[in-house]
Amino acid sequence: MTFLQPFILFGLPLILLPVIIHLINRMRHRPQQWAAMRFLISATRASTSHAKLRQFLILLFRTLAVLMLLLFLARPLAGGWMGWMLSPAPDVVLILLDRSASMEMQVSENTTKREQAIKLISEAAAQFQGASHLVLIDSALRTPQEIVNASALNGLSLAAPTDTAADIPAMLQAAFNYLVENRAGSAEIWIASDLQRSNWQPDDARFKSVISQFSGLPQRVRVRLLALNQTPENNLAIAIQDTVRRGKGDQSELQFVVDLQTSSESKDALPIQTVLDGASSETQVTMDSQSMRWRYKLDLGEKRDSGWGKFQLPSDLNAQDNTAYFAYGGNVKLRATIVSADRVSGKFFQIAAAAVANDKDAAQLLSPAEFGSANLEDRSLLIWQAPLPTGPEAERVQNFVEQGGGAIFFPSGNASSQTFAGVNWGKSETAEDEKGFHLVKWNEEEGPLAKTDEGFTLPLGQTEFQRRQQMRGQQAVLASFDDGEPFLTRQNLGKGQFYFCASLPDEEWSTLGDGPVLVPMIQRLLQAGSKRLQQVAFIHAGELSLADQQRQWTSLDSSTQKNARLDAGVYRSGDRLIAVNRPPGEDEPEILDVNEATSLFEGVSFQMLQDKQTQTDALQGEVWRFFLFGMLALLIGESFLILPGKPAAKQERPAPARKTEVAA
Amino acid sequence: MNSLLDSQVLARLMGQPLLARLAMEGTVSGQHKSPHRGSSVEFAEYRNYTPGDDIRRLDWRVFGRTDKFFMKEFEAETNLRCYFVLDCSASMNFVGKNERRFDFARRLIAMLAYLVIHQGDAAGLICVGEKIVSEIPPKRNPAHLQNIFQILEGVEPKGETGLIPVLHELAEKVRRRALIIVISDFFCDPAELMSAFQHLRFQKHDLAAFHLLDRAELDFKFDRPVRFADMESDFNMVTEPAVIRDRYLEQLNGFLELLRRGCNEFNADYRRVITDESYEKVLADFLIARAKLASAA
Repeated sequence: MTFLQPFILFGLPLILLPVIIHLINRMRHRPQQWAAMRFLISATRASTSHAKLRQFLILLFRTLAVLMLLLFLARPLAGGWMGWMLSPAPDVVLILLDRSASMEMQVSENTTKREQAIKLISEAAAQFQGASHLVLIDSALRTPQEIVNASALNGLSLAAPTDTAADIPAMLQAAFNYLVENRAGSAEIWIASDLQRSNWQPDDARFKSVISQFSGLPQRVRVRLLALNQTPENNLAIAIQDTVRRGKGDQSELQFVVDLQTSSESKDALPIQTVLDGASSETQVTMDSQSMRWRYKLDLGEKRDSGWGKFQLPSDLNAQDNTAYFAYGGNVKLRATIVSADRVSGKFFQIAAAAVANDKDAAQLLSPAEFGSANLEDRSLLIWQAPLPTGPEAERVQNFVEQGGGAIFFPSGNASSQTFAGVNWGKSETAEDEKGFHLVKWNEEEGPLAKTDEGFTLPLGQTEFQRRQQMRGQQAVLASFDDGEPFLTRQNLGKGQFYFCASLPDEEWSTLGDGPVLVPMIQRLLQAGSKRLQQVAFIHAGELSLADQQRQWTSLDSSTQKNARLDAGVYRSGDRLIAVNRPPGEDEPEILDVNEATSLFEGVSFQMLQDKQTQTDALQGEVWRFFLFGMLALLIGESFLILPGKPAAKQERPAPARKTEVAA
Repeated sequence: MNSLLDSQVLARLMGQPLLARLAMEGTVSGQHKSPHRGSSVEFAEYRNYTPGDDIRRLDWRVFGRTDKFFMKEFEAETNLRCYFVLDCSASMNFVGKNERRFDFARRLIAMLAYLVIHQGDAAGLICVGEKIVSEIPPKRNPAHLQNIFQILEGVEPKGETGLIPVLHELAEKVRRRALIIVISDFFCDPAELMSAFQHLRFQKHDLAAFHLLDRAELDFKFDRPVRFADMESDFNMVTEPAVIRDRYLEQLNGFLELLRRGCNEFNADYRRVITDESYEKVLADFLIARAKLASAA
């Protein structure tokens, strides 16, 4: 329980007043000589237990009445949110509002989790208006903003819905920084969140760090969590995993990898509306499981310039995850630069790249010494089959990848301690028998070794490997041999990615040179690297770079004002086109367990209120009426107790002494 | 005139003698009935002559008409011996809103003693504290009054009451029928008190009991806690009178009813007197009631 007038509580000793008055009254007795003592003793003995009980009740009622009066004057606040702990109003109330995309899930008709949280918190915060500083830290901007009028919280742009993710540890850190920078006194931190695990990141070291910082503060800090962790019963989500524009002669098409998720068991056909450059169409998809990867193509015909579109699901509990936006760039020529110390292997790569680009000049073959003067401006892929680059060369390769280009490193045949972005080559191995090394596991869903458009698996199982070179470093393994050694690994660097492949298309190494594996692999790497050459980007909401934030972005998908930093959609700024979608973590259904959430706040005073408890009630409210009526009830009870007993009507009055008669 | 006496009250009461309800055994003739036949003017009965009878009492007229000897007998009238028993225990010191209980009792005894002696009867006094404090045997001599008054003025109540054993002792000691008037608050065991009354009545004494009570004892009205100190011991207690008033009155009224019934049963003349009443009225009522009963007998 919190009090708006806590200084009144200094009067709590006054509750002893009735007891003191009673004791003084007893001490003020007057002496009386008495003859009829035997009746007095007898009457006292008979009345003692009842009288004592009545006196005790009278005292209790009076004491409680004074207590109720004091509590009434102190203007208490109570409710499930505040609990019943006695405390004064804090110096500052920091409201940490999760306004990530998942918070737009409806909890009741026309009310989302975010709206529910705002309603409850603004009502609770209104009680502190004037007594405490109210500061809002929202998940999208994480900039502390003082609120003057708590009831207007719902209308604030800082509390509006976004398509961003929430970073709860960062929000807590922002709250801590605010307390320190502003030298705040006692504080309450109210967190409103749906406990989505991807937002909370319970394993993140920052969490422990910020909680220990809070517990180290000299002032009293109490954390209250409004957990809106109700899971939806029927919700669909759509997200674009990959978009590739592929040219076929004069024609081109868009190839999509789309992830669909549902929380229901229904297997009805799902109508998906597709919008491409303003033209709408509908496609039926049947989901055979709760999550599904859907591949889809859109024909662009002879169109050569850029465009945009979106996939849209029917409306459901969360409108925020029903749309996935995409943008595509114009046709670009796919060109590769091959740096090879071995001319034979280099030729394999040159042929493969030229076959993909349908241009014999598409691949430029260079020796490592020539790389320094090579022009990489129009290149989308760098194939490196030589000792790993060092010094300025390594820096140039790194910049190329960071700009969105692709790079793949093939073995040079010699072990070296030279690393590139933490990865280096180990020893070279040759198979002891004729069977050689065999690939048993590779990623067929996405990446260079994914299935073909027609759904055929690349013949990696039939490819023979006689020689390979080990690689050392922390990379994602896309394919591995039967003994666990990696064949192909990938690592993100800036906007692009670089790969390490353990074998060569040379006959001495493998049969990769036959083509069925190498050509599609190079083709996909070329296409992935073409992002470097395009003015189109896929961005997650909330992750717009600082440089891009300075630009003026115009929404293409909506006539209403949208913010490219926070809202999903397609935006144009000059020649640049960006498709902003919610971060993939927002579609993750995993919710943090309440016990786990509680354990995260060990060391600070913590209280949690789950949304099931908040559907109908306000988080808290002034409860002075309860104490006022309680006091009145106690006073009425006390007045009944002090009423004199029933008149002794039933008592037999002794008959007057009657005159005796003389015996005869 | 003694300070205990009021001449005007006495003058008004002198016309009404104090009569015994029962036959008394006096030493001289008086105005009270005697259990024996005597020579008064009051005809009693006829009986057959038996040898040895005094022939002066033969009714010759009856003999003339019937030729038989009949003895004509008359009521004997004798004087009264009256014992006043005054309770001198500390509880008689009680002072309520009116006169001290003991003073009221002394005044009653003084007035009655005066009336008794002046009508030719004998009056004696026994003062009882824890035991007999002082005792004057009954005498008819008017000078005897002074002795009674002296003792009444000199005695002061103190200690516990020894009334009950003294009454038993009195019942045994006074062999001839007498009027015994007990004046007390009777705050003792009612059963034992009734036993003492029964003993007195068994010895054929005429018994009158003045039960003196104060208005405060009967009403028990106090508005705040009171420390009650027992007048006959060191015991005291603090209590809220308002809380126990009902119980107290219940107990007291039960006791009074018990006394009333007991006195009725043993034919004792029980008089409950509240000390704010006029003692003249108390005495007048007492004398008149007794006179009516005596004449009716």
